[in-house]
Amino acid sequence: MIDAMPVLPSPAPGLRIEGLSRRLGERTLLADLNLAVAPGECLALLGPSGCGKTTTLRLLAGLDAASAGRILLDGRDITQQSAGERRVAMVFQSYALYPHLSVADNLALGLRIRGMAPKEREGRIAAVLELLQLGELRLRRPAQLSGGQRQRVALARALLRQPRLVLLDEPMSNLDAQLREELRPELRRLLCGGDQPVVYVTHDQQEAMGMADRIAVLRDGALQQVGSARELYERPANRFVAAFLGRPAINLLPAQGQRQLGLRPEHLQPVLHGGIAARLQRREWWGNQQLLWLETAQGDLRMLVAADQSLPEQLQLGWRPEHELWFDSHSGERLAAP
Amino acid sequence: MRGLLLLWSLAPLAWQLYTSLVTPEALVSGSAGATGSFWTLENYRQVWLADPPIWRYLLNSAVVGAASTALTLALAVPCAYGLQRQGGRLRWAVSLALLATAIFPTVLLFLALLQLARTLGLANNLLALSLPYAALCLPLAVLLLRAAFAELPPDLEDAARLEGLNLPQRLRHVLLPLLAPSLASTAILVFLFSWNEYPIALTWISRPELLTLPPAIARLAGSSLFTVPYGAFAAATVLGSLPLLLLVLIFQRSIVSGLTQGAIKG
Repeated sequence: MIDAMPVLPSPAPGLRIEGLSRRLGERTLLADLNLAVAPGECLALLGPSGCGKTTTLRLLAGLDAASAGRILLDGRDITQQSAGERRVAMVFQSYALYPHLSVADNLALGLRIRGMAPKEREGRIAAVLELLQLGELRLRRPAQLSGGQRQRVALARALLRQPRLVLLDEPMSNLDAQLREELRPELRRLLCGGDQPVVYVTHDQQEAMGMADRIAVLRDGALQQVGSARELYERPANRFVAAFLGRPAINLLPAQGQRQLGLRPEHLQPVLHGGIAARLQRREWWGNQQLLWLETAQGDLRMLVAADQSLPEQLQLGWRPEHELWFDSHSGERLAAP
Repeated sequence: MRGLLLLWSLAPLAWQLYTSLVTPEALVSGSAGATGSFWTLENYRQVWLADPPIWRYLLNSAVVGAASTALTLALAVPCAYGLQRQGGRLRWAVSLALLATAIFPTVLLFLALLQLARTLGLANNLLALSLPYAALCLPLAVLLLRAAFAELPPDLEDAARLEGLNLPQRLRHVLLPLLAPSLASTAILVFLFSWNEYPIALTWISRPELLTLPPAIARLAGSSLFTVPYGAFAAATVLGSLPLLLLVLIFQRSIVSGLTQGAIKG
């Protein structure tokens, strides 16, 4: 007897990752990852090499198989689908353009294999070439393109398929610093704010902070914290996140029993009395700021001050109590202020 | 130094060419003999007008060579791909086994192979001759192509997988075009082996019109039992080398062209 039709929940749009793990023999590459990315949102996976961020990306793409957990895209479980079945596009660190094909043929290959009619195919390719201003390069081979142009072609190939999820694996690490900075807003304009979620892998915290709406910090295959750049910077979940985000890195003072104090270099300031005694050792002048290396009874500290501020050799250091970040000296977890 | 190396490698060829173009008297004495001529095309006329003529043997060898090459590549490409995708220890063991087979002296096999040909009724069949040839070339071909697969950036195949290309499509559209130089050089090695192979061809083929070049040349006879037809031998080998020369010239560009250049970051 059926009393009423069951009400199907409307499929939640975007990406949901539930308990995703990958193990290889004895090694755990990714442990129990839980994340959700909304359509149009750009999430950066940030961490040192070997932290599991590329592993996560390959699992999402379907290039590697998950040991446990589920991946839901627009409410559908895609964990068991092959890479080709998922509507997921990926931009590789190496761009992975087919070297023997012209730009236009690089873009056409996937569509041709899918059996798309030539007319529709040409239309789509022309549109995406237009969007990325690649029209003039359509007959060139990858070897005849600059790094930035190759990256745009790789991006074009990803967007061409109208994917439901876009993955980017260190897409800018092969470009020089200036080009990277120029491309960041362009990448955001092209990718983010659409109707598909974007997952962006990087080990460059500045890039993560500049590109992403939220950042997930990974370490040794385990998620440390996820939140906006500001949340992560001002309220890090633990010592690792505090140290990984922020350049110059946070000062970690020697542990006092169970507790350890962390102070950001820009939060230190000279005071007239009552601070800790410090001796100026070295100065790096950066134009807009200067970094001072100070020797104190608490070890060497870094202090960031305005470029034009002049300081004596011997000074007293202070800070505001609300800038103190306290950590458990063993586990590294952040603690409430004492 | 370069001149010395050129001399070292080209002198035998030059001598061969010279031998094929002079009369037997000239070859022995170094001067025109009683007939009064030094240079002659008689050696070429002899092998060309023989029964069966030499172009028949060239054709036979070309057929066997093409069949062996096609068969070897058709088997070696999937083997090499599979081997490259295998995990470390199995790949190591199989590679070692292949290497052991590749360096095994093939001459030791020809009696057993002859037995096989008799039992299976494969004697006097040109295409059947490509079976042992492919089998003998396969280990080296797999090893060479596996190394070539290993040099392709793995991202390329991953990108193709994401675009929905299945394995045959990935091979056809992405991997094999990039392997063209390695495929060409492997093909030439196989063809060369087949072209030069003697003991198996000698034992498997007995009908004169089916002989391949090496046993056919060995059968060239002099005017009497006691003369060795140096000139005819030389003419036949010169004619036999020409197709190979042509083949290498054609494929040379594809062998040396660095197709994978620029595949990844510049």
